[in-house]
Amino acid sequence: MSGPRYHRTREQDQRLLAFECQSCGYVSFPDEKRTCKRCGDAPATFEEVQLAERGEIKTFVVQEYLPDDIEVPQPLAIVDLPQEDGSGESARVYGLLTETDLDELSVGTEVVARFRELFDDGERPINSFKFSVPREVKR
Amino acid sequence: MTDAHVVGSGIIDFGEKYEWSFDDLLEGAYLDLVESVDHGINPTADIDAIWYGTLDIANEGSSGASVAHATGLFEKPATQIVNACATGSDAFRNAVQAVKAGDVEVALVIGAEKMLDSTEGLIGSAALERVWRGRGVTMPAFFGMRATRHMDQYETTREQIAEVSVKNHENGTKYPHAHQQFECSVDDVKDSATVSYPLNLYDCCPVTDGACAVLVTNDERAREFTDAPVRVAGYGLSTDSFMRGDDLALTNFPASRQASSMAYERSGYGPDDIDVAEVHDCFSITELITYEDLGFCEQGEGGAFIDDGIPHLDGEKPVNPSGGLLSKGHPIGATGVAQIAEIFEQLRGEAGDVQVPDAEVGMQHNIGIGRNATGAVSCVNILER
Ligand SMILES: [Zn+2]
Repeated sequence: MSGPRYHRTREQDQRLLAFECQSCGYVSFPDEKRTCKRCGDAPATFEEVQLAERGEIKTFVVQEYLPDDIEVPQPLAIVDLPQEDGSGESARVYGLLTETDLDELSVGTEVVARFRELFDDGERPINSFKFSVPREVKR
Repeated sequence: MTDAHVVGSGIIDFGEKYEWSFDDLLEGAYLDLVESVDHGINPTADIDAIWYGTLDIANEGSSGASVAHATGLFEKPATQIVNACATGSDAFRNAVQAVKAGDVEVALVIGAEKMLDSTEGLIGSAALERVWRGRGVTMPAFFGMRATRHMDQYETTREQIAEVSVKNHENGTKYPHAHQQFECSVDDVKDSATVSYPLNLYDCCPVTDGACAVLVTNDERAREFTDAPVRVAGYGLSTDSFMRGDDLALTNFPASRQASSMAYERSGYGPDDIDVAEVHDCFSITELITYEDLGFCEQGEGGAFIDDGIPHLDGEKPVNPSGGLLSKGHPIGATGVAQIAEIFEQLRGEAGDVQVPDAEVGMQHNIGIGRNATGAVSCVNILER
């Protein structure tokens, strides 16, 4: 397991900073690269965009079978996070969920990013976000 | 330009081969191939080049020289191909391209994997080593996310997904090289342990060791080896990722659509022409989605397709007569080669208890996950009698 890769995108992870392709509108998160993963523009021009903390579950699973040192059940979702100013496309991100109750989770559920310690890489805590179902949305 | 033809195949029984070394696997498949060639073969004189598919999970050294050592086929170009779960089928595709180009007359394609030597297994290594910046995505999670979305978007039922596993396990009991030979019901699948909601244990292929080999040659040499060669009619390979924001990728595998389109175009055949298919069913949901991606049915109708019995052994379009990965097992480097070998047997009418009557055109398909589990690769080959 390589430690540094968790730290490389710390700023993006903690501020939900994403990058919009000026040629096709694809929003890349957390990577900022010089080529576009959708339209193939190379070199591509990316502009920084701020993502909202609230998004929508596009699909999810609840993992029950994982190596011993990973806590289960561990729900995992693909979440579309819109841009904070409401313009352009959403970014599609992977996120762990805090909620494990299947009754609270479905495609289309609104979730909010909560920043917390995800796990310890041995030396330093890894801080990033997990998604929660906001209290007012809970059934 | 010459066509490429499959003229022989060899396989070992898939399963737990802990007592077999990696070389034993390769040697076993190779010897079975040598003995299977109808008119005989003088391997050191006849074989010009080798394509070797393995992810090398057992860490046995990553080079084509592994095959040379296991078989005694030295002093020949031997190339290792690695392309995720499409490794074996892409090794085949590369050999076909070299034969068609006229650069190689007779090619050995061989795939092998020892999946059981690692204590963690693939699920473990996927979670630990490919953690996506702390958001662990395992193989079952990856495919399960498509299942959740497919059920939501198309009202595909949990039972329809389970039916794929029921069908393939039934076929597997009739296929001599399958790893897991047992039948199960829809309830058995739903009652088996949850691996990653919505997928249960019986929705997942077993962890299996195995090896398989096929022989590919040109128009001129084909009849030297057999009176019944099987022609390679077309092939395709593509990649995609569901993080590019394409909503179709949440329920399907666009790379399979691209790869199969290429293979259809090259071969001149369409989905309706395929008489028998060996497709990637690492998880039950993968096969259900693949019916749609390969054009066997419309988008969103994979559930109805299996419900209606169309992909059953006695259905209109039999899929995975060998029991698929779910029953046969999924030793990654060997998987695609074994699918090619099964289609070869089907088109020659030699598939025994799982023979599809009068099969003339067959398809082989793999999909693989790579690049921090965010990308997908798909390889499709079409063969004809
Ligand atoms: Zn772009």
